Amino acid sequence: MTPPTAPDAPAPTPPATTPPAVPTGGDAALRVAPADSTVLRTGTWSWLFPHRAALVSLGLLAVIAVIVALATLASSNGMSMGTSLRGLLGTGDRLTVMLVQEFRLPRIVVGLLVGAALGIAGCLTQTLAGNRLATPDIIGVNEGATGAVVASVVGSSTAMVGEWWLGPLGAAGAAALVVLCAGGAGTRGYRVLVVGIGVSTIIGAISDLVMSRQNDNTAGGVFLWSVGSLSGRDYGVGQPLALCLLVLVPLALVAGRRLDVLRFDDDVAAALGLNVPLLRGLTLALAVALAGIAVGIGGPIAFVALAAPVIATKLYGPTRVPVIGSALVGAALVAASDVLGRVVAPVEIPVGVITSVLGGPFLLWVLFGGSPSRKA
Amino acid sequence: MTVELVVQQLKAGYPAGTRGGAEPAHLAVRGVDLTIAPGQVVAIVGPNGCGKSTLLRAMARLHQPHAGTVSVGGDDIWRLRQRAAAHRVSLLPQSPQAPEAVTVAGLVRYGRHPHQGLFRQWSREDERAVRAALTATGVADLAERRLDQLSGGQRQRCWLAMVLAQETQVVLLDEPTSALDLGHAVEVLELVREVATAGRTVVMVVHDLTSAARYADVIVAMRDGEVVATGPSREVVDAALVERLYGVPADVLAAPVDGSPVVVPRAGGGRDDR
Repeated sequence: MTPPTAPDAPAPTPPATTPPAVPTGGDAALRVAPADSTVLRTGTWSWLFPHRAALVSLGLLAVIAVIVALATLASSNGMSMGTSLRGLLGTGDRLTVMLVQEFRLPRIVVGLLVGAALGIAGCLTQTLAGNRLATPDIIGVNEGATGAVVASVVGSSTAMVGEWWLGPLGAAGAAALVVLCAGGAGTRGYRVLVVGIGVSTIIGAISDLVMSRQNDNTAGGVFLWSVGSLSGRDYGVGQPLALCLLVLVPLALVAGRRLDVLRFDDDVAAALGLNVPLLRGLTLALAVALAGIAVGIGGPIAFVALAAPVIATKLYGPTRVPVIGSALVGAALVAASDVLGRVVAPVEIPVGVITSVLGGPFLLWVLFGGSPSRKA
Repeated sequence: MTVELVVQQLKAGYPAGTRGGAEPAHLAVRGVDLTIAPGQVVAIVGPNGCGKSTLLRAMARLHQPHAGTVSVGGDDIWRLRQRAAAHRVSLLPQSPQAPEAVTVAGLVRYGRHPHQGLFRQWSREDERAVRAALTATGVADLAERRLDQLSGGQRQRCWLAMVLAQETQVVLLDEPTSALDLGHAVEVLELVREVATAGRTVVMVVHDLTSAARYADVIVAMRDGEVVATGPSREVVDAALVERLYGVPADVLAAPVDGSPVVVPRAGGGRDDR
């Protein structure tokens, strides 16, 4: 143990711009770069290319391709796969071509996009709260979107659900209410969850009240949507959805590196140079927008936002916040559930019911299984 | 120009302020002035609630002061962007939380975050800094181990490595030894001295006056939001100071090796009413 030098001893005075070197350069053989990545460097630029993430993403894309193929060819009305294929290629009879190209295919594409949006939204909210149960389902965003869309059918005579853009509006309203009640977007953890559950319940009750006042025809149509359904969704909603994702997904990807740091507590994150309140606010806004749009189009499809990031973390490993992974898993989950619901029974089962049936056991697994080190 | 840490007329309280805003209901730091030369270890001591943590958080750009400045290398860190401030000042909070399942090397790599960007994800500088930090703190052998599977003493050295990898002129530590046994506490404090010897400035909040006296070049003693004494431990730490800070009668002895002050509270002395 060496006693400290006297304070008036001449101290080394490094220049202002370059921080002093750490004592000793260290062992050059020590490997410190991320083991799962290849380092690409040119000049002062450098990138990390993560192998595992790349492989898993390719695998998921392959799975999605298989699901899309099956969904395109599978039929609930006895159309053979060969007929479906001819319909897809445009060589079949007109009715078949129309059925496959204008009904089935758009619905699959919309399902993929809705699933991707839900997956990323869940990934963002889970990272924000540091809790795997903090999904848009649970913190009121989905109920807000649902409530807005359901409210829009009041007095309408058609059984059709209102405009999809009411989804993000309702989601934003509910999110604002939750943040306000929880005391700011900077609040982490249980407070947002508890307030969110409360707000969800209230909005859900209002939605139910509105539904119960409609005639059977309207209520039936709305009900189908309000459990989560892609029935009848085509490129009319697919185009705005794709445009929104084109803007929002890159934003989520840019936030990705900072989201990694947000998994520390706020003090560490701020000390590492993060503007924590700003990042939290923007991330929440992004999650609300994505979830709101998805719900506005596909209805509140349950459990996808919970399951996709959890599965993605398992596949991609815990090193990073899996934004792309959550999108791919979400897309696969919704597309697969939708085709399952279409072919498994004589009368179509809404995609939201399928995800609910599969999601319950999954939720239990998250709560009681998985990695016990993390508080759920 | 030397990179000094200068705190001028700093006032901070709760709720945290906006610059030039009204005085807060509770003022925790009431006009503190400090000038700290590079290469020094400074220990802030004082009773619970004396404002030492608030002062440290204001210096770390975590708690917005109401008045005054904290400048490093001539610039007020509260006028810098968060990221620019993180190039000059690093902080190890009292009980930091890491992402799930992070490895030691992974943790230390996060120390490079303020230096990285979309087109600068892993530079040679990053590699050198992380390697040096792992080696300096003696955790290189643990690099691939998971942080949550290490002992408390090992974990604290890993956190210190992360802060060192940030390569800032000023390193702030909030009670870095409070959860450690004597052996590990000494290990961390020895490390702190090495960091200062390399030319960095270390400011730490410490509860144990004896280890503060032994390892710090300068003691800053605070009470009720004000600095009541500042200077080398041998000049500052005496029975009167202990009495004044904590209201406890104590004997201050000289350590046999080097004469640094050792605080021994008197048994049965109890606390004064003050």
